[in-house]
Amino acid sequence: MAVPISQAWTVATYVLKQKFMGKKKYPLVLMLEPLFRCNLACAGCGKIQYPAHILKAELSPEECFKAVDECGTPMVAIPGGEPLLHPQMPEIVAGLVARKKYVYMCTNALLLKEKLHLFKPSKYLSFSVHVDGQREHHDFSVCREGGYDIAMEGVRVAVEAGFRVTTNTTLFDGADPNSVRAHFDELMVAGVESMMVSPGYTYDKAPDQKHFLGRARSKKMFRAILSNRKSSWRFNASPMFMEFLMGKKDLTCTPWGMPTFSIFGWQKPCYLLQDGYADSFKALMETVEWQNYGTESGNPRCANCMVHSGYEASGVNYTFGSIKGLLQTAKAIFFSKYEDHGAMKILNEWKPAHHTPLVQIAAKAESDPQSAHNAAELQEVSGD
Amino acid sequence: MATEIQEGAKLEQLSHENPDEIEVAAGRDREQLEGWIPELASDADVREALEKAFDYRGDITVTRKDGTQVQGYLFDRQSSTTLTDSFIRIMPSNAPGTKINVGYADVAALAFTGRDTAAGKTFEAWVKKYWAKKAAGEQNIQIEPEKLD
Repeated sequence: MAVPISQAWTVATYVLKQKFMGKKKYPLVLMLEPLFRCNLACAGCGKIQYPAHILKAELSPEECFKAVDECGTPMVAIPGGEPLLHPQMPEIVAGLVARKKYVYMCTNALLLKEKLHLFKPSKYLSFSVHVDGQREHHDFSVCREGGYDIAMEGVRVAVEAGFRVTTNTTLFDGADPNSVRAHFDELMVAGVESMMVSPGYTYDKAPDQKHFLGRARSKKMFRAILSNRKSSWRFNASPMFMEFLMGKKDLTCTPWGMPTFSIFGWQKPCYLLQDGYADSFKALMETVEWQNYGTESGNPRCANCMVHSGYEASGVNYTFGSIKGLLQTAKAIFFSKYEDHGAMKILNEWKPAHHTPLVQIAAKAESDPQSAHNAAELQEVSGD
Repeated sequence: MATEIQEGAKLEQLSHENPDEIEVAAGRDREQLEGWIPELASDADVREALEKAFDYRGDITVTRKDGTQVQGYLFDRQSSTTLTDSFIRIMPSNAPGTKINVGYADVAALAFTGRDTAAGKTFEAWVKKYWAKKAAGEQNIQIEPEKLD
């Protein structure tokens, strides 16, 4: 299993309870942003561009607990900013664990080794380490040479200390699906519990405004990456969301599925778009005109979005929405490796984009013996 | 929120392409707003300027009609049918953690006084700098987050 049975059971019973209560709109994961400051300045991130007095501000543990209690989701993700920069983060996490919330602390892991002793291993706590690909890709993505090595050292130390460790990989135009598959192998060898992968969102404030994947390329790339799956790979994602990424299933956005709370309040409408703030979760749910969001709405800011914060909840909703959804999910979990010769062909013929020096990195990777070994191994697995 | 000018590239792309057929999604057209002092001659001017201020990632300075000033980050606006019913919400730079409301109708002047923290950091500039440093034999090349003190 990609998540502990207790967690899967908690989430399933929560979703079914909402459905039995007749709730049409309910959240699945609270995105708790206790601070915006970060120790990286990634090209694709639009979260950290604020004046210094905003970057210095942070939520108190009490404010975090109030938001969590208000929202009521079984899972709480703590992105940011870099959560480990918050001086009271151990207290916040301990309070959430005491509330029996499944916590995913989204960290770049630069400080993980140093701060690990401040946390206790628990089935309720997982470090979700952001690793955007193999060494060269990750380092370029986070604009820091050596970032990958530090992050992976953090992963190894946390795994050895008995913590649950998952990963989160965000892909932009220029990503190489062969390299991403090799990256999955590396993560599994490092002992991570499971992996999450998502296309990057077109953040208006991100330094890089030219490499956001469109839906057509996202589907092609994810079909190449996620088809012909190795049995060793474990994913921390709804199987239906992953089929959506592969272009095998249509889902509509669930913008209320992962609400965000930060120093400004409850973000309207979602983790990715900022159309203002509400002072309570109830006000958020009641005042946002939800029909104005999602690809189907025609909102240009939602046009290319296939991100987990909008569609993961849609996948879960699909699973629990009908017997058909349950059966399809069970089939996806237990029987499907998604064998696909067409996807293998895409993988073999994929040429990295030629508009950035990233291609030089990719070219270097192809001549690297380890990459060549991984490519051979992939072909062996697929039988192609 | 964003104005149509800022979303121009996306709107242009979507005018001739189906979202499901887009290979690379258009980003955002940046407006140079730092230092801007908009004219607030009409209600429409006030709304447009405050919408841009909401989108701006630097501090702004608002002068109220009674002459008092608020300087800080405009993080929210509640726009209603009349200016009297609409207000902006600011986190003042000199009072961390506090939130101040100012009615649209009370705004006498607006200035984009703080540095635009989202401007001038293109990925292309980083890539160029990276390869220059690499060629010079530097190691551990990175973009450092800005110092806060």
